[in-house]
Amino acid sequence: MIEVKNVKKYYKVAKREKGLSASLKHLFSRKYDLKRAVDDISFSIKEGEIVGFIGPNGAGKSTTIKMLSGILYPDEGEVVIDGFIPYKQRKTFVKNIGVVFGQKSQLNWDLPLIESFELLKYIYKIPQQKYDKNLQKFTELLDMQGFLNQPVRQLSLGQRMRGDIVAALLHSPKIVFFDEPTMGLDVVAKEKIREFVKYMNEMENTTMIFTTHDMQDIEKVCTRLIIIDEGRKIYDGSVEQIKNQYAALKSIEILLENGKKEKYTFDVNKTPMNEVMERLFSKFDIRDISICEPEIDGIIRDIYEGGIRVS
Amino acid sequence: MGELRIALQSLKMSILAKLQYRADSFVATLAVFLREATGIIVIYLALMKFDCINEWNVDEMLFLFSLLFITYSIIVVLFADLRDFSCMIREGRFDRLMVRPRGLLFQLISNNADVIAACGHGMLGLVLFVVSAGRVGIHWDFLTVIYYITTVVGGVLIQGGMFIIFSSLSFYFVETNSIRDIFYWNMRRFAGYPISIYNKLIQVIMIYVVPFAFVNYFPAQYLLRKPDMEEYPEIYLYIAPVVGIVIYMAAYVFWRISVKNYKSTGN
Amino acid sequence: MRVYLEFAFKKFQNRLTYRLDFFMGIINTVITIIVFCLIYKALYGEADSIDGITFSMVATNFVISLGLSGAFDFDEMFLQNKLHDGSITNEFLKPVNFKLRMLSENIGDSIFKIIFNFVPALLFSIFFIDFCAPKSILSIILMIISVALGYLVLWMISFIVQTWCFWLFSVWGIVTIKNVFVNILSGTMLPIWFMPSILRKIVSYTPFESIYFTPVRIYLGEMTGKDIFYGMVVQIFWIAVLYLIGNLFWKNGVRKLVVQGG
Repeated sequence: MIEVKNVKKYYKVAKREKGLSASLKHLFSRKYDLKRAVDDISFSIKEGEIVGFIGPNGAGKSTTIKMLSGILYPDEGEVVIDGFIPYKQRKTFVKNIGVVFGQKSQLNWDLPLIESFELLKYIYKIPQQKYDKNLQKFTELLDMQGFLNQPVRQLSLGQRMRGDIVAALLHSPKIVFFDEPTMGLDVVAKEKIREFVKYMNEMENTTMIFTTHDMQDIEKVCTRLIIIDEGRKIYDGSVEQIKNQYAALKSIEILLENGKKEKYTFDVNKTPMNEVMERLFSKFDIRDISICEPEIDGIIRDIYEGGIRVS
Repeated sequence: MGELRIALQSLKMSILAKLQYRADSFVATLAVFLREATGIIVIYLALMKFDCINEWNVDEMLFLFSLLFITYSIIVVLFADLRDFSCMIREGRFDRLMVRPRGLLFQLISNNADVIAACGHGMLGLVLFVVSAGRVGIHWDFLTVIYYITTVVGGVLIQGGMFIIFSSLSFYFVETNSIRDIFYWNMRRFAGYPISIYNKLIQVIMIYVVPFAFVNYFPAQYLLRKPDMEEYPEIYLYIAPVVGIVIYMAAYVFWRISVKNYKSTGN
Repeated sequence: MRVYLEFAFKKFQNRLTYRLDFFMGIINTVITIIVFCLIYKALYGEADSIDGITFSMVATNFVISLGLSGAFDFDEMFLQNKLHDGSITNEFLKPVNFKLRMLSENIGDSIFKIIFNFVPALLFSIFFIDFCAPKSILSIILMIISVALGYLVLWMISFIVQTWCFWLFSVWGIVTIKNVFVNILSGTMLPIWFMPSILRKIVSYTPFESIYFTPVRIYLGEMTGKDIFYGMVVQIFWIAVLYLIGNLFWKNGVRKLVVQGG
């Protein structure tokens, strides 16, 4: 379904120096830094897969998504999706995809959702019957009847996000890109969106690609995980595998009597919890203690520094 | 057909959005109307004292102004998104249009309409036209009506083309509003008056660089035939639509190149 | 006092960072002045003077009043933005007079624009436009005092309209309409000499004449001796009256805010 072969994308970034004379010089001659946003990435995704696409900020996630959705040309390499080359056949290709930008709504702020949906009906040439059917199904699944006729500006973030997801799916795309769809939402809203995404995948066999910072999104929804950092793919495999590998990793935060904070990360398989505690209590005057699962950014950093090899 | 549907739904949405804040929209429209009328009130009062400017009397001046406002009211219905394009690029909203299966320029044109500006400028243009058209001695027959309509279309294409060119610059530079301020807004201030009152440099700019002269001055001259037309080639009276088409085509080519560049360099 | 000087200086400094704005400002001001001077050149045609007013007096009027009006544009959405984003309540907690703070920030801004927009435009005009030489050093000094008073008149009018944000959804429309009145009636775009006599009579009973026209007349020597004193008294009178009105709106607005909650 999706074939990405040796894709590279470099940006020129103008160097900026401070000060009046430097900015005057800047007017005439510019120095550039080459930023390797995407540096030789390949992968393929089968129809019906849900792939989590993660990496720290600036890792090249959104550049990759832009190339997959036809917004950007790669400098080198090739992307073929469902027989199309997205950036060359933009208009025909994008009929088959839906994109949800979590931070950038495509809904009209002042009007009820239904008006924005109507517009999309015409833009995507959705037959009336299919439109009615999809709309009814989605509003039921996402529990939206209550606010379909309210202006978007009066909706909560979660309600608005559901609206945005419906907007991206009305034309029954074969592939959907979700860019941070759950950022800033409360637990209930997140859960609702995850359930819906899973349902759509099971019923329609829609291929989905997720970028997210939320490990829960990945665990609950995705079957496969691609991690990139500094433009390179550093992990590509099942979510199960990575979970097993890292479930044992805990970080522990302690607050000392003198008000100082300390943070440690350790592997319970190597050092059992009771041993860690013993050592900590013998060494410090501890006022409070909290144990947490490691964060996604932490895991990625760990993998990048040589944890898991790409298989 | 499908395109028309999209355009109508978008227009309906722009209007409905403004109707959400009825009172405020009304005051804002009135404010735009009065703000734009300021220059006209001023010249009206001045001509009570001076009678005419380069042999153009009050009514003829109002007629000259009316073309500027009528074309602009159409511009802000069609080209509002292009007017605010640098902001759209900066906020990344343009990427959204690229993942929709429609032409980019078509989407920008059909999308938002600045309803308030359209009403403010449009009402002013109509008022000026109604007040002046009967009194400037134009013999309205089939030919003049056709001429008037094509000339308005030409004026829209000229200014629309300029907006497309300024928008295309947003793909290369972060801050393009000031370029537009100089070349569009400042030049537009000259355009309210017969260009024959200006020195040669300004006239050349108004005819050949930022051709506002073809938006209102030459079309008005065709209908009014004032003596100061002697200074210019007669052919200029007839070519406003041609100028519009040429500028618009050039703008379109530049736009295509710029989008291609945007797709390969990103932002 | 120090703290308000600080506000003014901060604003001045802020402006310095936007170099592009600053070039644009000069171009805008110069083009505006050119347009109006050329229009009047055409209106004058062959005539030397009309009603005893020479073209260079008109040009001088435009350079001073249009030039200054470019420098005297305030951020008139300031109060409304503070109100809408809720930060106004924090401002009240600070040991600073909010109105004075607004005024000093606006002054800092305007001084920047006088130095970097008005003065270059003025120099341009001296070289390229038929600009009247001042009558004496004294008339320049008196004009500057009168300009400062005119600034306060303009600011007080602006403040009154800004305070309506306590009652209106948006003051943008009403601010724009106010500016229409200021632009037409204060003589920036239409020299007050050439207004129809009935309009001129009306304007003489309004504060608009005190903004730019009084300083212009002092500069041109149209006002001398007792007239100058009288003109300035009128300016001060309007500042006082407008201040009282503005204060009334302000007090009621703040009360409304406190009663209904931010």
